[in-house]
Amino acid sequence: MRDSSDMGESKVLSAVTLAGVAKFFGTFKAIEGIDLTIRQNEFFTLLGPSGCGKTTILRMLAGFETPSSGEILLDGRDISRLGPNQRPVNTVFQNYALFPHLSVAQNIGFALKMLGRPRPEIRDTVEDMLALVQLSGRGDQLVTQLSGGQQQRVALARALAPRPKVLLLDEPLSALDQKLRKTMQIELKRMQRETGITFVFVTHDQEEALTMSDRIAVLSNGALRQVGSPHEIYNHPVDRFVADFIGETNLLTGKVIRQDGDCAHVVLPGGVTIEAQCPHAVSAGSEVTLAVRPEHCTLAGPEAPLSGFIEQVVYFGTDTHFHLRLPGGAPLVLRRQNAADGRALPQQGETVGVALAPSATRVLRD
Amino acid sequence: MQSLTDLEVSLRRADVRRRWWLSLPAMLVVILGGVGPLLIVVVYSFLEAGPYGDVVWKFSGEGWFNVLFERDIFDDTVSIADAHLTILWRSVKLSGITTLLCLIVGFPTAYYMASRGPKARGLLLLLITVPFWTNLLIRTFAIQQLLRAEGLVNVVLMKLRLTDTPVQLLYSDFAILTGMTYVYLPLMVLPLYSTMEKFDFRLMEAAYDLYASRRKALTGVLIPLVKPGMIAGCTLVFIPCLGSYVIPRVLGGGTNLMIGNLIELQFGAGRNWPLGAALSIALVALVMIGLVIFQKNDRSGGDNA
Ligand SMILES: Nc1ncnc2c1ncn2[C@@H]1O[C@H](COP(=O)(O)OP(=O)(O)O)[C@@H](O)[C@H]1O
Ligand SMILES: [Mg+2]
Repeated sequence: MRDSSDMGESKVLSAVTLAGVAKFFGTFKAIEGIDLTIRQNEFFTLLGPSGCGKTTILRMLAGFETPSSGEILLDGRDISRLGPNQRPVNTVFQNYALFPHLSVAQNIGFALKMLGRPRPEIRDTVEDMLALVQLSGRGDQLVTQLSGGQQQRVALARALAPRPKVLLLDEPLSALDQKLRKTMQIELKRMQRETGITFVFVTHDQEEALTMSDRIAVLSNGALRQVGSPHEIYNHPVDRFVADFIGETNLLTGKVIRQDGDCAHVVLPGGVTIEAQCPHAVSAGSEVTLAVRPEHCTLAGPEAPLSGFIEQVVYFGTDTHFHLRLPGGAPLVLRRQNAADGRALPQQGETVGVALAPSATRVLRD
Repeated sequence: MQSLTDLEVSLRRADVRRRWWLSLPAMLVVILGGVGPLLIVVVYSFLEAGPYGDVVWKFSGEGWFNVLFERDIFDDTVSIADAHLTILWRSVKLSGITTLLCLIVGFPTAYYMASRGPKARGLLLLLITVPFWTNLLIRTFAIQQLLRAEGLVNVVLMKLRLTDTPVQLLYSDFAILTGMTYVYLPLMVLPLYSTMEKFDFRLMEAAYDLYASRRKALTGVLIPLVKPGMIAGCTLVFIPCLGSYVIPRVLGGGTNLMIGNLIELQFGAGRNWPLGAALSIALVALVMIGLVIFQKNDRSGGDNA
């Protein structure tokens, strides 16, 4: 699909443009004709399940793979045939790939040395980078003496030192434990803001993508499914794949009765008719899939048209999840924020009324 | 030893010392097979030469004296033994060049092998060891067949009209170098391969990503990290080359001697066993010096690269 969110924006803002980029490994199509624009100074995330082609796209941006067709433009210049050492793009590798025979400072200064910069400049930049990643004073240590989190910071500093136009990060946080991960997420955002460098970040973790990114591209099987801000991706998923992959979603099937502009009236298997957002045209009588987030479902009084039988109640501290069964047999998860007063909640085995917010219930494209 | 404290190490040593008799078989092998023969050679080098070979059991420094000097049989004037020094220098030179040739050929070979998939690696490894299945003498004669006047190389050269008459390839330093490089190449490739196999090739990608040229990635990343393998390979090639006997004998004819042939000569036609023994010990000393130099190189490479 086309990256529609960029239409009409000035060309100057784009850092990287992929135009019809496809990649074959033998006869296997790893990436199919992707059109994508990454803006300058943005934190852009490629999100998708393992094997969907994220690394392949990153490797084409870095210059380790050549696109089978299409062009990659950096500041309007076609770079798709340039070698990795000829393009101002640097990578933070998944396994860090630090040079084990060099000190922290030598690792960070490596690119500048290769570029033939004068020694004092290299020394100053290395100092700045060490400060940026909060490793000041550790320049003389061997990288093998550092912890995983510190190695990660060195890898970042090493890739940022030559001030690339674009920084590529391939699942850089996946090897860290949960707590360090949260810290590094915030750190990465800070570094991106402080350096003003465009970050292209790869992850299969949707939560990570939502918290860190300015914009997200969702991929599956080598194809682009949706590009947009975290808000757009989360609240307006275009298709079943995106809705299912990002966050928790209830997927309901139903039959369209009629459509009034952006609003479709859909009858659920249990016979209840509900309203849902539907920006695209659907014909009456067609089977559609509806998506609604658990937090957009609310408990209602017994007079509500839709009812659900409580199969399970799961307490999470901040909120409680109700696993319901709707009259037609479809499951539905409802999330309710816990109040401080500890009012009595409906229990397992009870039947309760359910309301689905019409503005948050969407008819998905297949 | 990194994971053990000094105390633990010394405790362990003490433990080994207390149960010394357990290591008796190993000691016997070391003494009978290693130190013993060497001691006999040392003793022989300090005896007098018998008239028809063998030794006379009388102390004499003549054997060692003859390593570097020679006495004129008529007027007893002493002069430097040019021939010995020349042969010694030739041996070091030819071994050094062979080591270099093996490194030049072996390095890309090992790199290629290590960067293949696991299946291809196994096959390539097998192919590298195939020459070991045949005897050294046979392999040397095979090279001789290739290089002789009517051999394959000359036939091809003449077919290509590069020469009208056969080129004299045999019985030259070229022939010796060819033979030694061919024979000792696997000893270079194997240790190189085993270090490169552990090398993380993503580091090369990282180097290219950080603006290194191919050459810079090679000299700045690959070579420092596979240096232990290079040093092991060079040691394994250089040392047997220095003492090689069959190859210079078969491919160098009677004229292009190496130190191994010189030693053999003393025990055979030369009938000067003490000199032969002294030369042998000199060779061992030379090898030791070589080892120390290689080791030093290894350590300094690890520290400040
Ligand atoms: N060099 C290659 N040769 C053949 N297939 C490859 C190669 N690299 C990746 N692939 C295939 O392309 C697909 C996408 O891989 P990748 O980009 O690594 O996915 P991701 O990073 O999203 O997990 C996978 O099916 C993978 O097996
Ligand atoms: Mg990947």
